[in-house]
Amino acid sequence: MSTKTNPAEKQNSFLAFLGKHVYDIAAYAGLAVTLILFLIFGGKRLSYNAQTVLQTSAPTIIIALGAVFVYSMGYMDVSVGQQVGVYAILMIMIINAVGGVLGVILGFLAVLALALLCGAFNGAVAVWLKLPSIVTSLFLMFFFTGAQLLLMESTGTNSISVPTSLLRPANRSAYNLVLVLIIVAVTLAVTYFSRFTKLGKYTRGIGANETATAQSGVNTTKWKVIAYMAFGVCVAIGSYVMLMRTGSAGKGTGTGYAMDIMICLILGGMPLSGGMKSKVSSALVGTLTYVLLTNDLTTMGVDLNMINFVKAAIFIVIILITCRKHGGVLPR
Amino acid sequence: MKQFTKSLVALMLVFVMALGCMSVASAEPKHAKIGVAFYQDTGYAVTATKAYLESLSDALNVEFVYAVLTQTDESANLSTIQNLISANVDGIICTMDLGTNSIIEECEMAGVYLAGYLCDYDTSYTQNYDRVFKSEYFLGTATDGQNPDDTTIGTTMFNSLLEYNARAEKPLTHVSMAIFPVWAFPSQMTGAQQFVEAVEEYNKTAETPITVDPLDEEVDVLMFSPMDTTYFAKHPGIEGIISFAAGTSFVYPVMVQAGVDKDIKLFTTGFEGGEENNFGTKGTQTFQQNMVSAVESVTYPLVLILNKINGVDFPDMPEAAERISTSQFCINSDEDLDVFVHSIYYTGNAADAMFTPDQVLNMTAFGNPDATYAGLRDILAHMTIEDIAK
Repeated sequence: MSTKTNPAEKQNSFLAFLGKHVYDIAAYAGLAVTLILFLIFGGKRLSYNAQTVLQTSAPTIIIALGAVFVYSMGYMDVSVGQQVGVYAILMIMIINAVGGVLGVILGFLAVLALALLCGAFNGAVAVWLKLPSIVTSLFLMFFFTGAQLLLMESTGTNSISVPTSLLRPANRSAYNLVLVLIIVAVTLAVTYFSRFTKLGKYTRGIGANETATAQSGVNTTKWKVIAYMAFGVCVAIGSYVMLMRTGSAGKGTGTGYAMDIMICLILGGMPLSGGMKSKVSSALVGTLTYVLLTNDLTTMGVDLNMINFVKAAIFIVIILITCRKHGGVLPR
Repeated sequence: MKQFTKSLVALMLVFVMALGCMSVASAEPKHAKIGVAFYQDTGYAVTATKAYLESLSDALNVEFVYAVLTQTDESANLSTIQNLISANVDGIICTMDLGTNSIIEECEMAGVYLAGYLCDYDTSYTQNYDRVFKSEYFLGTATDGQNPDDTTIGTTMFNSLLEYNARAEKPLTHVSMAIFPVWAFPSQMTGAQQFVEAVEEYNKTAETPITVDPLDEEVDVLMFSPMDTTYFAKHPGIEGIISFAAGTSFVYPVMVQAGVDKDIKLFTTGFEGGEENNFGTKGTQTFQQNMVSAVESVTYPLVLILNKINGVDFPDMPEAAERISTSQFCINSDEDLDVFVHSIYYTGNAADAMFTPDQVLNMTAFGNPDATYAGLRDILAHMTIEDIAK
């Protein structure tokens, strides 16, 4: 016996599907449009622009991937930019002090340890003192701002550097390949932990309803700390990838990353309040859309000083589209 | 036969005209797109530079796109340069030496020429000379005044002080100084030492010697922010401040705040607007000297980039890129100020520029086969405040 659906039911189910996936559709449509514009306006420098997009987006993608765990819980971390700055400076100092590949390895390991410590601090203090996570990350932001200035003051210069040949392949194609491999590896790892382990399940649960999750027997304190530490790992990797790009760092390195991460995740369809609709793909889709948009506006001839205004306008439109209509708040 | 001759003459005329058109076309500069990355997006120098460049666009067949760099973030600066390259520029005029290693690598990859303006590129010069100055894509820079190897600003400041003392009822006998950090402007430290030496030499024979407070690392080195309010407590009894750093932005507001702007005279680099109300014999008479880099100095990087784009070099073009000192206007008196307010720097009007578009075209290797690199350097090194009136 076959069941037949009438056209009205079909239409209703289609509308229901649209309603359910409006954020995903908006996010992927945004990426598709920016990609099409990229191909149309890339012109004679299409290949160069593609490399630029890859190199610019790589550190942001990696950090945003880690941020998925934090944002899934409905939390955020505003200290990430200053952390990136300090980590880059520390890595350069250690590499210059130790020298060679050993210096690079030691520098990265030192930064990784510090990032894990900061992640644990961020998660634990917020829970133990019952503070909103943004408050502890604000503390870390001010702490790292001070540390960044002090470290640079100690060098007596505005910028310190290491040869990029120590950090990445000199050949551009090889460098781009390394970037792709790092992005793929981090994406696979984050996807695995998010979809197939308790970490992803519990962080989304905390974002959806922390009380219910706790009453289900989940140690939410522990998983919050682990989520922040996972974010820390990605911040350390992202800082290294950013350093690969310029080989230098200074007082302003990392500025704006916290806001960029938030914008990228929202553009990618991540609900700011976290919960079960949080997805790893938000980091990839959002960051690529954001970076491609900048490139598109540039190649389309928009005044470079006006690009931020255009991006702000597009951002607010997306927020309005994806905003939950009843409560007038961001989607959950 | 007559008809045939007429036809032949007509054909020859057409041929000659066509040849003429072709030769005119070949003399026409290639269309170029140049990115200009400023250190900030407002201010007299930025407005005037944009006006000057735009006035040259038709004669040199060039269009300009503008961007703003950060003073502290190499990665952001690299992104700005990448955006300019994505916008299909053929050359970039850059006003900051931050992240230059990666920027020059980017330019080399994209085949885009880079040259500097209002920047001595000292970090690159001292730490990465081979990587930056010997790159075929880095063409040189016009510094903001003197480059560190060619500093005379200390002597200029001393002469301005003497000139003031000669006309003042109460000459200044006790002054202090302010500079930007050495890593940013090494020439200012050199200038400060030069100033102290000039005063010491003067004091050997002077009836009324001048006292210069030694530089105090804590308060005299301005970190691109207003000077510390303890400056005046650290320098008790001063009658004048010699600010090698931009005094209008970072010294004068603190003087006003401390209520000493009527008692202490300020000699400073830069001109941000508003000084004219309190300059010389006007208003509070705080400002007694301002030094301003000639906006027309941007001609140096522009000409070098356009030469490359047009595939013609000066016969005496140096092998490695150079940094050249550029002219500074020294406003020492009411009369000087009256002249200065007619400069493009002050008016933002390209009609007030020292060079017309044709004159600039004449400085290029593709517009004038006799043009030389030495000639270009010479012209830009000898602009004086007297030339403004011409």
